[in-house]
Amino acid sequence: MATQLVKCPTCKTTITVSGESGEKIFLTCPQCNQKGAFIIPEEKSAKTMGTNEATIEVNGLTKSYNHFTAVNNVSFAVKKGEIFGFLGPNGAGKTTTIKAMLDLIHANTGTIKINGIDVRTHGKEAKKYVGYMPEKVAFYDNLTALQNLRFYAEIKHAPKEECIHLIEEFGLGDTGKKRVGKFSKGMVQRLGMARAILGNPPILILDEPSGGLDPRGVVLIRDKILEMKKKGTTIFVSSHILSEIQEICDRVGIINKGLLVAQDTVEGLSKKLNLKPQITVTVGSMSAKIENAVKKLPGVDSVKTQGNTLEIVCDGTMKAKVILAISTAGGNIQNIQTKEPSLEEVFMRYTEA
Amino acid sequence: MQTNVILSIAKKEIMDNIRNKWIILVSVMFALLTLVVSYFGSLASRGWQDLGFTISGMANLVTFLVPIIALMLAYAAIIGEIERGSMNSLLSLSATRFEIIIGKFLGLAGVLCFTIIIGFGAAGLMIAANVSNVNYADYGIFIGATMLLGLVFLSVALFFSTIFNKRSTAMGGAIFLWFLFNIILPIVFIGLLAATIDITKFALGNPIVVPDWYHALNLFNPTSVYSSLLTIAIGPVSSMNASSMIPAPAWYSSGLLIGVLLAGIIVFFVLAVWRFQRKDI
Repeated sequence: MATQLVKCPTCKTTITVSGESGEKIFLTCPQCNQKGAFIIPEEKSAKTMGTNEATIEVNGLTKSYNHFTAVNNVSFAVKKGEIFGFLGPNGAGKTTTIKAMLDLIHANTGTIKINGIDVRTHGKEAKKYVGYMPEKVAFYDNLTALQNLRFYAEIKHAPKEECIHLIEEFGLGDTGKKRVGKFSKGMVQRLGMARAILGNPPILILDEPSGGLDPRGVVLIRDKILEMKKKGTTIFVSSHILSEIQEICDRVGIINKGLLVAQDTVEGLSKKLNLKPQITVTVGSMSAKIENAVKKLPGVDSVKTQGNTLEIVCDGTMKAKVILAISTAGGNIQNIQTKEPSLEEVFMRYTEA
Repeated sequence: MQTNVILSIAKKEIMDNIRNKWIILVSVMFALLTLVVSYFGSLASRGWQDLGFTISGMANLVTFLVPIIALMLAYAAIIGEIERGSMNSLLSLSATRFEIIIGKFLGLAGVLCFTIIIGFGAAGLMIAANVSNVNYADYGIFIGATMLLGLVFLSVALFFSTIFNKRSTAMGGAIFLWFLFNIILPIVFIGLLAATIDITKFALGNPIVVPDWYHALNLFNPTSVYSSLLTIAIGPVSSMNASSMIPAPAWYSSGLLIGVLLAGIIVFFVLAVWRFQRKDI
């Protein structure tokens, strides 16, 4: 599936077209109703939208304010269709990086490319591909949700009918003539997500999308992110909710004090840190014999006993040997659980002082 | 540059000001003030005065009111959006900074001009219906000159909105500008004049000769230029500014004064664009 932006020959409105390479797409311009057809170019779609090709490329990005370096030589790439989680403690440089990616701030050095287009030199062209949800979502308080979205739709050249559909989809259909200034934080946040996906952009950049949302809102945003991924959207998401990032992201990047200290899958990062899973075994009756049998096993890092429960940190491949050792020592296994290293552990290790 | 993006932003600014009732309030204020000045403004006679009298009565008020209204309208146009967070979203779209600032200027200029036309226009029509001697051309010039004055201050405020990093500082700057152009500069210029000319000659009844540098300095004050423009284009306009009691020099012309006001609008707008292009959001 490839996505292209096409200009209406009559009114010059930009229309987003999705389809397979070489596929002929029949279009009606949402502005002037001009009908026409467009063939997704094979070469271009293969070249710029290839599965392994990066749609966001940041190379050597540095941004300093006076004597403080907020982002220091940061480089990463996000592949088409992947969800890339961007993590870091407060003040680590996440928002600065995102702002530089959108040319909201002027980077000192480095290149940023969106779909191969340099943001710093061709920002207007590059940003056509992007939907953005800032950390601090804000709208025009005197206007209604629909008036706000229609304003952004005009600038994005997105069909205005989509605004009503999005407002309904994000549970804001009953706000009517209510001004956005009177919305709750959660409602503004949901409207912010609606604005980001307005016009069905092929790339989404989300800065703390779940901040200030109730659990229902968090689920709504998460489901929408996963839905957009299914459509082939590339998603760059920054969040403090590590469990959520672990659940939805293909890869993560961790920034600390302006430096990108790690980027990989969560499993990959765990391996690099030599983090091991924890096996929790509950037995009918605990004895020193059982505990010693497990401790003696090669590859077991630590064993903790709490009542009838053993918490064993060891290689993932050791599970069968642990079960055998406990059974041989007379343990009657009642329950066994394996907990893989969490993103929280990875995050804490990479961001410790 | 995409004109539809500029127009969308301009339209949003107008819609925003309609929704917060700013346009209605200021229009009504202009209309009421004009009617009050026309009806109660003359000590010599009672009732409606003609438009010429109304213009001379309003000119003083306009030099005080229109600048402050224009400054209040635009001082937060850029920094207000940055502080609130909505500029992030606007700039993340495929809109350039130039398109955004020109759209904002056009929208706010539309709001300001609309309030001036509706406020003074409605009052003018009401006065015209009650007096016999109606000079629509002079009144049209008055409205046009007032719009130019307002646009100069709008442009200045837009520039201020790009140089400060806080909305509150920009507001302080706007208030300072109002004092600068309405109080400080006229006093400073008159002070310089008094310090350089021979007052004794003036006291002996000789006609005062004002040097050209004084008139040239006054070209840097939009409110003085506005008063001079009305005097040249319409006739003597009373003013509380001491500087405007001094007759305009022969080399002042309507064209020059309009040019100075237009140059003010352009120069400050260009400065605003230049600063906004370099600003980190």
